[in-house]
Amino acid sequence: MANILTYSRNRCTCVEQVDENTLRATCTLQDTLTDAFVEILVGLPDLEIVDVRCEVKRTEQEPCKDPALSLAKVIGVRIGSGMLKIIKGLVAETTECKQLGFMVEECCHGVILSFTKDVLLVSSPRPTDQEEAREFYGKMVKENIRLYNRCAAFAPGSDLVRGVDPPK
Amino acid sequence: MLKFMRKKTVSVWKKDSRTLIAHGVLDDDIYGIELDVSVNIEDLRISAIEGKWNRWTTPECPRAIPELQRAVGFLIAEPDFSQKAHKVIGRKACRHFANLLLECSHSLREAALLGEWEDRKAAGEEARLGDITAEKAAPPPPPQSPPSAPRAAPVESAACPDEERGIDDKSRVLSADSPGLVIDLHVHTSPASPCSSVPVAEVIEEAKRIGLDGICLTDHNYVWTAPEVAALREEHGFLVLRGNEITTDQGDMLVFGLEEDIKGIIRLEELRKKVLQAGAFVIVAHPFRGFLTFGVGQLGLTPEKAMERSLFQHVDAVEVMNGKVTAKENQFAAEVASGLDLPVTGGSDAHEVSEVGVYATRFYETIRDEKDLIRALRGGNYVPLAYRKEKGF
Ligand SMILES: [Fe+2]
Repeated sequence: MANILTYSRNRCTCVEQVDENTLRATCTLQDTLTDAFVEILVGLPDLEIVDVRCEVKRTEQEPCKDPALSLAKVIGVRIGSGMLKIIKGLVAETTECKQLGFMVEECCHGVILSFTKDVLLVSSPRPTDQEEAREFYGKMVKENIRLYNRCAAFAPGSDLVRGVDPPK
Repeated sequence: MLKFMRKKTVSVWKKDSRTLIAHGVLDDDIYGIELDVSVNIEDLRISAIEGKWNRWTTPECPRAIPELQRAVGFLIAEPDFSQKAHKVIGRKACRHFANLLLECSHSLREAALLGEWEDRKAAGEEARLGDITAEKAAPPPPPQSPPSAPRAAPVESAACPDEERGIDDKSRVLSADSPGLVIDLHVHTSPASPCSSVPVAEVIEEAKRIGLDGICLTDHNYVWTAPEVAALREEHGFLVLRGNEITTDQGDMLVFGLEEDIKGIIRLEELRKKVLQAGAFVIVAHPFRGFLTFGVGQLGLTPEKAMERSLFQHVDAVEVMNGKVTAKENQFAAEVASGLDLPVTGGSDAHEVSEVGVYATRFYETIRDEKDLIRALRGGNYVPLAYRKEKGF
C-alpha cells in the first residue's frame, strides 16, 4: 500500500502566437481533486490581457463550482512587474476560487518566459563556455541592477556579480 | 505555433503514518527541475527538502540547491506560506524552485485533506470531502496594518489654511536662482509597508543627514493620520508629508491629498473619481517598471504606442525618476510624459535606508505642509533629480 500514490497532479501551461498582435496562453490543471482550464489572450506590444476564459470541469471546492464564474475583471491588466498583486486582488473580488487566479498567473508567467526563451535563443552563450556565459549574465545584471541579489545565481559572492556594484 | 510550454507534475505518497512525501518535476523549454518535499502529517511542517537541476541557464544556478534548506520548518498550511516561499526560496534560491515548491505544497495539502477524509470515513463518521476542504480552507491573510500602537482616528488634514499664516500666493514662488526645495516624493517605511525594512524614524534621520528638505511617506495602501505625521515632524524637526501608493488595475499610483483608506485593488477610473472629489493629486509610479527588461524589451513598444495607454488620461503627472527601475525604463517614461505634456516627478521608492533620496523632486515653491504640496504639484513648477548622485553620496 505504501507505494501507491495518494495524490497526483499534472499542470501544463502553453503559450502560442495567434497572429502578429496576439498571444494565447492556456493553463490546464488535472489532479486528484480538480480538472480546470484557463485561457488568456494577450495583446502585443502592450502585453495587455484582452480576453479570458475559464472552465472548471471537476472540483471539490464549493467556490469553484459556480457555473457563472468569470475572470473578466483581469481584462485590461498588463503582464509585467507588479501583476501578481493586481491579478490576485481582482480575482479575489469575483471569486474565492483561488486556483483560477493562480492559473491566470501561470499563463502570465508563461508569456514572460516565452520572451526570455526568444532572447536566450538568439543571444545565449555556448553552454560549454563558462567565461562567455559569465560575461553574458554579468552584463545582464549590470544593465538591470534589480537582478542583483534576486536569486542565488546573482547573490553576492556569485561569479556573475563579480565587479558589479550593489544597488545603492 | 507553440512558443513555450511548461509542464509540472507532482506525485504524493504516504511514507509512513507520520510523513507525506511529494515528488515534483518542472520541465519547460528553459528549465528542468526536480524537488522532493517531506512534511509531517500532523502539522504540515516541511521536515526535509531536496532539489535537483536537470537543465538551467546561468553557470551559477547550481548555487540555489543548498539554499533550499531554508524551507525546512515552514508550515505549508500557514496563510503566509506562499509569500514566504516567494520571499525566501524565490529570492535566496531560485524563483522556479519556489514555483515548484508551491505546486508540491499545494498538492501535499490536498493529499492531507484526502487522508483526513479517509480516516474519518474509516472511523465511521459521515464526512463529505467538500465539507473538509471548506473547514480547512486557509483563513484570509491578516490585515497588513502594522501591529503598533492603536491608530488615532482620522482627523482633518495636517495642512493649515493660508489665512492663518498670513501668506500671499506670490511669496511662495522662489527666485530663479534659488536651489528650491528638494523632496523625496516616494518613500516606504516599516511596518506600514510590509516590503520595507526601515522604521520611519530612520528614514527621516537619513533624509536629514543627506540634506533633503522633506520626504513624503507613500506606504502601500496605507493612510498615515495627520496627528501621526505632525508628531513625526515635531520630533525630528523635519518636513514629513503624507502620500499613499495605491495599487490599481493599471499599476501603482502615488496619491497625495486623499484621506480614504483604500484596500484591495481599485480600478484606476474609480480612483480618479475619488481624487477629483477630494481635490487630490495622482502621479503614476514607475509606469514601465520591468517592461523593458530582459526578454520583454524585444516587443518593440514605442513611446508613441505607450502614449495611447488609457491610464495616462487618469493621472496628473508621471514619475520618471524612480529608484527601483532601470535607467532605460525611466528614460522611456520621460519620453512618454514629454509626448503627453504631463508634469514629471522623481522619488526614490526607498525600502532601505541607503535608498532614501536616490531620486527626488526639486520644487521652486515654498512647501510647508500638504496643502502647499498639492498646490505646488498642480503648479507644475518642479523637476526630478538624481539627488544622491548630484550631492556625491
Ligand atoms: Fe513604491
